[in-house]
Amino acid sequence: MEGKIRIGFYALTSCYGCQLQLAMMDELLQLIPNAEIVCWYMIERDSYEDEPVDIAFIEGSVSTEEEVELVRKIRENAKIVVAVGSCATQGGVQSWTEKPLEELWKTVYGDGKVKFEPKMAEPVENYIKVDYRVYGCPPEKRDFLYALGTFLVGSWPEDIDYPVCVECRLKGNSCILIEKGEPCLGPITRAGCDARCPGFGVACIGCRGAIGYDVAWFDSLARVFREKGLTKEEILERMKMFNAHNPKLEEMVEKIFQGVEE
Amino acid sequence: MKNLYLPITVDHIARVEGKGGVEIIVSDDGVKEVKLNIIEGPRFFEAITIGKKLEEALAVYPRICSFCSAAHKLTAVEAAEKAVGFTPREEIQALREVLYIGDMIESHALHLYLLVLPDYLGYSSPLKMVDEYKKEIGIALDLKNLGSWMMDELGSRAIHQENAIIGGFGKLPGKATLELMKKRLSEALPKAEYTFELFAKLEQYEEVEGPITHMAVKPRGNVYGIYGDAISVSDGFEFPSEDYKKHIVERVVEHSFAKHSFYRERPFMVGAISRIVNNAGTLYGRAKELYESHKELLRSTNPFANNLAQALELVYFIERGIDLIDEALAKWPVKARDEVTLKDGFGVSTTEAPRGILVYALEVRDGRVAYADIITPTAFNLAMMEEHVRMMAERHYNEPEKLKLLAEMVVRAYDPCISCSVHVAKL
Repeated sequence: MEGKIRIGFYALTSCYGCQLQLAMMDELLQLIPNAEIVCWYMIERDSYEDEPVDIAFIEGSVSTEEEVELVRKIRENAKIVVAVGSCATQGGVQSWTEKPLEELWKTVYGDGKVKFEPKMAEPVENYIKVDYRVYGCPPEKRDFLYALGTFLVGSWPEDIDYPVCVECRLKGNSCILIEKGEPCLGPITRAGCDARCPGFGVACIGCRGAIGYDVAWFDSLARVFREKGLTKEEILERMKMFNAHNPKLEEMVEKIFQGVEE
Repeated sequence: MKNLYLPITVDHIARVEGKGGVEIIVSDDGVKEVKLNIIEGPRFFEAITIGKKLEEALAVYPRICSFCSAAHKLTAVEAAEKAVGFTPREEIQALREVLYIGDMIESHALHLYLLVLPDYLGYSSPLKMVDEYKKEIGIALDLKNLGSWMMDELGSRAIHQENAIIGGFGKLPGKATLELMKKRLSEALPKAEYTFELFAKLEQYEEVEGPITHMAVKPRGNVYGIYGDAISVSDGFEFPSEDYKKHIVERVVEHSFAKHSFYRERPFMVGAISRIVNNAGTLYGRAKELYESHKELLRSTNPFANNLAQALELVYFIERGIDLIDEALAKWPVKARDEVTLKDGFGVSTTEAPRGILVYALEVRDGRVAYADIITPTAFNLAMMEEHVRMMAERHYNEPEKLKLLAEMVVRAYDPCISCSVHVAKL
């Protein structure tokens, strides 16, 4: 790419943690001379949402009709669209519900009216083509460093296709699932965090999302969970915390429970 | 013929957490209407977590907000522990406060240097200040990194901590790490003092001067801090945390996904300045001295005093953090976690998040969340914020460009967390 690389960082409905993670990186200061920040409201007042950019980073889930319009506009203006974080890539924790929108709305706002149009949270790729994904809730700093660095040298970053367990074993942690019997989601969750939570003795909640390429074996893990005494509902609930929109999850877990009396 | 006026609008307020805008409608008689439009989508956190396992709900709550995820995590955990009838050991409580202080230091440093300071120095972004203001950006990064590192060590990471759990921690850092934390805190003290001196020089706009009702958590043990079981109001009234609904009324407003809050039918303010106004008598150490010598600037009548109050808290919480680590070290070795039986019950926790009072009320039944109510500082502040923007607008509606910046500066002084304010609301 010639000249300065034009970058936009756009937020949909989210906690702003992905941007915060990026903004907190000291390395960002080294990037500035090579980049032009076209839009990044969190740290730049002179931001323009409607300008062409080389790379558009999108954080957050699509959660209002206004945001549907916004992502379409971003796609038109961007050469590369990067979905950042669990909300943009998987719909986020706000998708962790079976309740219909009307019920959620009533629970929170009662009969109150608001002039904006809400909708159920969805990942960005349900509306536009996404070229690359940075996973995590929040993504690790090294995820940003790797993706940005690779784009800046004119190459394409690779995806991670192996589970948290790989990194966890390499660190020499004791296994939370097998040794402590806790419902750790490490086996189905995309690596890259260096098994951060299991390193603290806390079971993985799957914040980086299920591994892609059909290698997230929800069924095998569901079988282990079942043997540990978890019900189908409990298993689905836990696995869906960050994977509510995963098309394979439910059917693979169902398979394990077929013909099983609970 | 009547004059025609275009609304003065900032569609997207920059350098705040979340997505909100300001709309000022002017007529022949002056400012007609001021609205803070909160346009970020709702996330229904309470509704989503009802019926879910308590531990899993507790993993989700910090995701309400990244700037104060530790505050959300620790307040939710305390509400849950109160609900199930568990009280953490003193040393665990001390270390939780150290984790919370990490959040406080990081959040205040980010807000003051990256979000507020550029306005005063004439920049649109902190990134553009790098060449001219090396020292200030350096201090900002040092303080921010200190807070992040404390959260990494005690919380598992700087955003969305998983290590704070019911019963204590998954794992505690070693003694050597805590000793290092003390050392790094004391090294940061001069930087916090520099920050205070710097912000003491910045203008606090007289346009928004006027009486403000302040609310803050009454600190436990009469030591300035984060946790408390009662709320104090600057009018002298005080009530137990459990009674928050009796005294704070929330209303849905049509231009916002976030509700507005009222006390005795009037807006009120929460945040660092409210803590100082209500609890200055419980400060100690260097912060106490600085407060005494700068009382006039840390006054109750101007929202811009919140910036300086945060700077004062940087000094205070650095010293307080060292003392709390000492309290935990005095009991070393400390067991990380107690087993907790999840009995049925109801618990309310009120803590002081970086931006002000954070309320969590949780009911637990059969190990699951039966009821959840979360109110965040920004939701408390929205009505007051609108009033202060209106005061600014009344003086400057003839200079739209200037007003836009000043209105944004008013909003930024509150350090709003817009994601927080919309992602939660009561049942």
